[in-house]
Amino acid sequence: MKDLKHLIYFESLLENADNELVKKAQADGGIALGYTCFHIPEVLLNVDNCFSTRLRAPNTGSIDIATYYMSNYTCEYARALLERAIEGGYQFLDALIGVDACSMMNRSMEHFEILQVNDKPNFFVTHCDMPFKITDYTLDGYERQMQVRVLDRLHEVFGVDVSDAAIRKAVEEHNEVCRIISEIREMRKKANPVITGYEFHILNLVTYVCPKALILPYLRETLEELKHRRPDRKSPFRARVAIVGSEIDDPNLTKLIEDVGALVVSDRYCFGSTPGREVIELKDDEPALRQICLHYMQVSECARYISDEKVLQRRETSDRLAKEFGAEGIIYEQMKYCDYWGFERALVSHIMSEEYGWPVLSIDRLYNNGNSGQLRTRVQAFVESLEIKRIHKEEGKK
Amino acid sequence: MAKIQYPNPKFWKAKDNINWKKQGENLKEVLGIFGGMLKETDWQQFGKDMANVLKADGERIKGEYADFMALDKDEKIDRIINGERSLGRLYRKGAMATVRREWRGIKDTAYDFWEWARMWGMLLMTFSKDLIPAMNSALWYRWMISYFCCHGFMDKNILGLRGSNLRMSHEVTYQIFRYVAENLVLLSKADRKNGNSDELNKMMFTFDEMTMGQIACGFPDLCAIPHQLLPMFLVSEIDQLVCIPYIDAVESFGLPSDTCPVPSSECGALVINALPDMGSLFISSSMPCDGSTMASSYFSRRFPNTPVFHLCFPVRYMDEETVQMGAEDIKACIKKIEEVTGAKWNWDHYFECMKRFNQETDLELQKWEINKSAYPQFIGPSYELFRKWNYEMDGGSDPRVVPSMEKVNKMLLKAYENKETAWPARKMRYRAIVWSCPAHYYANFSNWLANCWGINVLVEMESLNFTKHLETEDKEEALRDLARLYERMVMRRHTNGGYQNVVDECWRQVEAWNAPLVIMYQNVACKNMATVQGMLDEQGRQRGYDLIWVEHDLMDPRTVSRRTMRDKVNEYMRTVKHAEPVDPSLVEFEDEVCM
Repeated sequence: MKDLKHLIYFESLLENADNELVKKAQADGGIALGYTCFHIPEVLLNVDNCFSTRLRAPNTGSIDIATYYMSNYTCEYARALLERAIEGGYQFLDALIGVDACSMMNRSMEHFEILQVNDKPNFFVTHCDMPFKITDYTLDGYERQMQVRVLDRLHEVFGVDVSDAAIRKAVEEHNEVCRIISEIREMRKKANPVITGYEFHILNLVTYVCPKALILPYLRETLEELKHRRPDRKSPFRARVAIVGSEIDDPNLTKLIEDVGALVVSDRYCFGSTPGREVIELKDDEPALRQICLHYMQVSECARYISDEKVLQRRETSDRLAKEFGAEGIIYEQMKYCDYWGFERALVSHIMSEEYGWPVLSIDRLYNNGNSGQLRTRVQAFVESLEIKRIHKEEGKK
Repeated sequence: MAKIQYPNPKFWKAKDNINWKKQGENLKEVLGIFGGMLKETDWQQFGKDMANVLKADGERIKGEYADFMALDKDEKIDRIINGERSLGRLYRKGAMATVRREWRGIKDTAYDFWEWARMWGMLLMTFSKDLIPAMNSALWYRWMISYFCCHGFMDKNILGLRGSNLRMSHEVTYQIFRYVAENLVLLSKADRKNGNSDELNKMMFTFDEMTMGQIACGFPDLCAIPHQLLPMFLVSEIDQLVCIPYIDAVESFGLPSDTCPVPSSECGALVINALPDMGSLFISSSMPCDGSTMASSYFSRRFPNTPVFHLCFPVRYMDEETVQMGAEDIKACIKKIEEVTGAKWNWDHYFECMKRFNQETDLELQKWEINKSAYPQFIGPSYELFRKWNYEMDGGSDPRVVPSMEKVNKMLLKAYENKETAWPARKMRYRAIVWSCPAHYYANFSNWLANCWGINVLVEMESLNFTKHLETEDKEEALRDLARLYERMVMRRHTNGGYQNVVDECWRQVEAWNAPLVIMYQNVACKNMATVQGMLDEQGRQRGYDLIWVEHDLMDPRTVSRRTMRDKVNEYMRTVKHAEPVDPSLVEFEDEVCM
């Protein structure tokens, strides 16, 4: 396939948290709000002149200092962020919107405060409490946390307009991003799609890390380009897989999987497009904030949601996506040391195989995986097993 | 209000419905296993081993006699009256128990024997209330076998104790064991694989072992049992090796080995069907940490017919904005229990229990006051375990506990007035507190610290929980208070809700207890604590405190053995403190398989 016009530019935007578009937005008076977790409604961080940037630590090398503070058997993502923060990589942030959803990420953000990694006079870190299930009272609690811990703080510290109208305006812009990404995502359902998993991963990631207004023109153009893009006559891939699991902000993982012949057709993981790129439908007769909170609770696929219906939802979503996108197998993955996904992966990888009938590859992985020979071998073996299954199936038909 | 007996007699009277055919099949399987073991045993080697044990015993007795005879007259009298000093000789390589009971001097040994007999009496009386299902449990669950060694656990926890501390330790251990015995009988009665009492199951709900028991106080007609507490958590403190097969099972299933052994053991037991199937509802919990949150999926998978209510409390519990959400969840939980069991929440009974709990809190605070003084009286693992059990599981429900606590506090005050020392045979050299996830029960560690190095652990992090009196009149506020209490449960109060609760709090407690030596337990799988390790280290150093980091893996001694744990202290005491051990025989000894 012909290269996408902006792919190299998009890749360059992922090289640094403080990328070209972030700098431009700040130069124009934008307030940069860092966040990591899906539990924080991204759209609330894009009200008025604020813009959200989901934190990554690209090109992470040594994380020794963070390891001193957080020990060596904790989430590498959380440690990589702290290391980058100590190095000064998040000096550009105006505030960090944290959640106490998983203990390791929470501690990482607490270190931002204690070690004073950002010396902007108004910089603050806020920690929000997150619900474990969906009920009226947990929605009340969630809404209250977002109001008090996020919106009120933004208004108090930066004078941000956090009115209902401002929130609705942010939702409109957010929804346009979601529509474009969803339309591109639909293209992956085709037998020989016009976009690879890697390209989609890059596209989706830039929507999380760049100011929405500034990335939108590039997205619109890319969508048009994809509509006219011609796929290779014969797909170079040997199998189609869906990925399900914890945080992946490293497109090299998708690249690694695709390099050994498995086209990634669905991305049901944190930082992926499901959840995250669903359009938020707002009713006019209800406050926007409450509707947004409910939306995020409902679409969340985080393993932290403990209630039976959410546990089932996660399994059903994985099954539905794998079916809709024509996957032949599912890769269940977790960031090493992630307790939520560690327990979820171990159990559900069995359930998806035994009850839903999916071939499953179950892996735990590091934050940076591009060069993992072990992982490559495991994916290769999985691809071969999928091919063998296909052959057997075809033989059975004959 | 009519007085409600505890435990409710109708629980004992509930009719069993044992499926004898199923029991027969299980017995056949167990006999098959025993048969296989007997067949595979190298009897020649067994004979040799037994002969070696007898030989070793002979040599030990000879050695002990020679040592005694080498003492001068005063020392001999001292040993006879005050007991032995070299406790390391009680351990032998490869032995599952100490080689003999400790000689504590005439008076204390006699008292100890009386308590030993009293404990046996209580156990026999309790189990006789429904013996068959309880005995059968031992054929279904390997963890049940470890309860046969509960006297060993008692002995272990009072090693080296004399006088008032010994008496107080026995008294509180008795309370815990009575709770364990009663609940083991009820658990076996209800278990659908075993006693299969439909009648009892209808009256029973179970809850996650990390959930506090106070909610059951509003349901005096219901039997509430912490589902995994007896099969996993408590028994692992009696026998550190008991959970290994469960941990292995779940790791073979695919769970990463870096997770905390507590939820890992629970999940492993569920994977291989080693937990009882009982009750009409299970209350799972999001507490205390991320790992525990996830264990409920494994429960639902194993027992799909048992409805589950997920009790989820806010993590940022210091934020009063979050309290109402917790209170609402308690209301929803009560409603669910009422729906499933048909029972009705009884405010009068709840308030009665909470008044008792408040009284117990006052009695606990009295102990703290004494232990903060220059003459701490009641310290050691029995006290630490009792505090946890009383706070977390009893929670004012059992009226027999307050008189027992009053008895203990009477002894405590008397001992304080007499300026007794908690470890009479030794000199109290260092005042210490324990911080982070405690491992002292598994490893008998705080006991060893005192006996070997004279390090007196005055209090541990997990004892320092909620001490506010709970509301006993206003119903809405009572639920909010209950939420506040639950949010500050054992293992959660410090590890959740912000680093201040564990880091700043540590320094505050060091000051309050005047204990500049901190045993920093480092559970290698606890991410909540691991993520503040650097901070604690850095700030502790700046403040000039002695922080002895002791790695452990709770009930999985394969990761960090008890000996390795002790070595960390030995090294620190020798190289940093330049100290001499109080009992050199305890510096180095073998206890890999010793309970």
